[in-house]
Amino acid sequence: MRLNIPLHINHLELSHEDLESVSCPIFTRQHLQVNEKHFFLDIPGVAKYRVMDGNLVQVYPYPEGDELSVNLFLNGCVLGVLLHQRGILHFHGNSFIYKNKGILLCGNAGVGKSSVATAFCQNGSRFITDDISPVRIEQQSTIILPFNTSVKLWQDTLQKLAIENNGLERVRLELDKFYFPMAETAPEEQRLDHLFILGMHNQEGYEVNELTGMDKYNALRRQIYRRVYLKGMPETEKKYFKQLFQLAAKVRVTQIVRPQICNIYDTMRYIEKEINR
Amino acid sequence: MKNIVWLVSYPKSGNTWFRMFLANYLKNRAVPVSLEEIESTPISSNAVDFEEVIGLNPFELTTDEVDFYRPDLYRVLSEEAEKTGEPSYKKTHDAYTQNKNGEPLFPEEVSKSAVYFVRNPMDVCVSYANHSTKEIPNTLAFLLNEEASVAGNKSGQLRQMLMSWESHIKSWNDQILIPVHFVRYEDMLQKPVETFGGIVLFLELEYQEERLEQAIRHSDFKLMQQMEQENGFKERLQQSRSFFWKGKIGNYREHLSEEQIQRIVEYNYDTMKEFGYIDEEGKLTV
Repeated sequence: MRLNIPLHINHLELSHEDLESVSCPIFTRQHLQVNEKHFFLDIPGVAKYRVMDGNLVQVYPYPEGDELSVNLFLNGCVLGVLLHQRGILHFHGNSFIYKNKGILLCGNAGVGKSSVATAFCQNGSRFITDDISPVRIEQQSTIILPFNTSVKLWQDTLQKLAIENNGLERVRLELDKFYFPMAETAPEEQRLDHLFILGMHNQEGYEVNELTGMDKYNALRRQIYRRVYLKGMPETEKKYFKQLFQLAAKVRVTQIVRPQICNIYDTMRYIEKEINR
Repeated sequence: MKNIVWLVSYPKSGNTWFRMFLANYLKNRAVPVSLEEIESTPISSNAVDFEEVIGLNPFELTTDEVDFYRPDLYRVLSEEAEKTGEPSYKKTHDAYTQNKNGEPLFPEEVSKSAVYFVRNPMDVCVSYANHSTKEIPNTLAFLLNEEASVAGNKSGQLRQMLMSWESHIKSWNDQILIPVHFVRYEDMLQKPVETFGGIVLFLELEYQEERLEQAIRHSDFKLMQQMEQENGFKERLQQSRSFFWKGKIGNYREHLSEEQIQRIVEYNYDTMKEFGYIDEEGKLTV
């Protein structure tokens, strides 16, 4: 089994022995334990993961755990934990460059972030990251840190975006979702200009709301990737608290609520209009 | 702590109507509560809750894997409710099932009780077909399908195993870990004071007749229809014209053929008889 993670770490180990859980967790759930330095996650049927000090990852696959599934969670939750342990603020969203502006598109799972980001990239934008977007706060601006990732798209989305599925790799054998490698990617760091929070409702039209003040801060806080893990990482959360305030002062944050059933390109155009406003 | 009350039903069986009644009864205001106020108590299969509490994307898990984490989700929601000191009322369309580990989705240790809303399956069929904008033959087949489920994948909600209309009822009726109070939709409509009052007593809420009558008036079907027309309702499907459609008893007679009625009756005969939709002589009562 080959393990891949798009981040340089000192040690990535495929363990043949069961992993120990975290000895002094600050936060526990049935399947996970977290403290400031250590993290343990159990996904039955897939693998157990242990992450330490932002630089060491051990993976113990279940006998039935396949390589695709093991790597999917390695590149999701585990990657997120590595970033948390390194104190790198990161959001649950896709990022891309639109006309020299760094755009971050956040929102809950299934809201259409990857679909809309792909639509932008089909229309001249340059892709930065899928699903997890780490940032660095500097004095003058906020920088999006690029990763080498592919966009994950459902089969029906590929069809809606007129992308032919010629042997695209599935994210998991059980799911009708595929990795789509973007042709145009941005390997360099990019300033973040505008963060969108995408939501859904059952109405026909779109709703737009540019946030300010505490609403802006609170909305940004909710977009942190796997925020629940921070319940076991109070020091990291404190660091983020400061960074979020700095970030809120530097970027525009707009909430967009789209109809449940709508055209991906309509949503793209709606966001485009807001970027240019 | 046993502080979650499950409001259980097959879809379109009066669950949302009861949530409106309950919100009005608990708040006890001179004016009716808005639909928006019951929207803030999401269904037990809410995917956002799952992602935020469990810390995994439910749409990157298989539906069986999601079920593995669901008991833990409810344990956490119970802990959160404990801070308020009040019971948490959670709507659910799930049948009472167990995950692959043999653990019930709804853990006994956090479940105070359940109220189960039963409605004539023929009216359910017609109302559900309208709600989901599906043809009646497909909806009828759904109601008789032991593998029936809704949502899952990336629909915004977790997969809910419904099974057939009859097996759904039996699953809750046969389990012994959570006390269940069964209520007929038809009785809510025809004998509201007695029926809603019975639920209030079962839930061990303070019983006040005036308050009860006011809550019944404030959750009147026509009033809810009007509220939906004026301000919309988040639980309506986008392609459906309205969530609150007719709410009538026996509406199926205008929409189902004799053969369709026969199929439903044959499949569900015992349960329909048990809940009074078929009388001692084998005739339909509604």
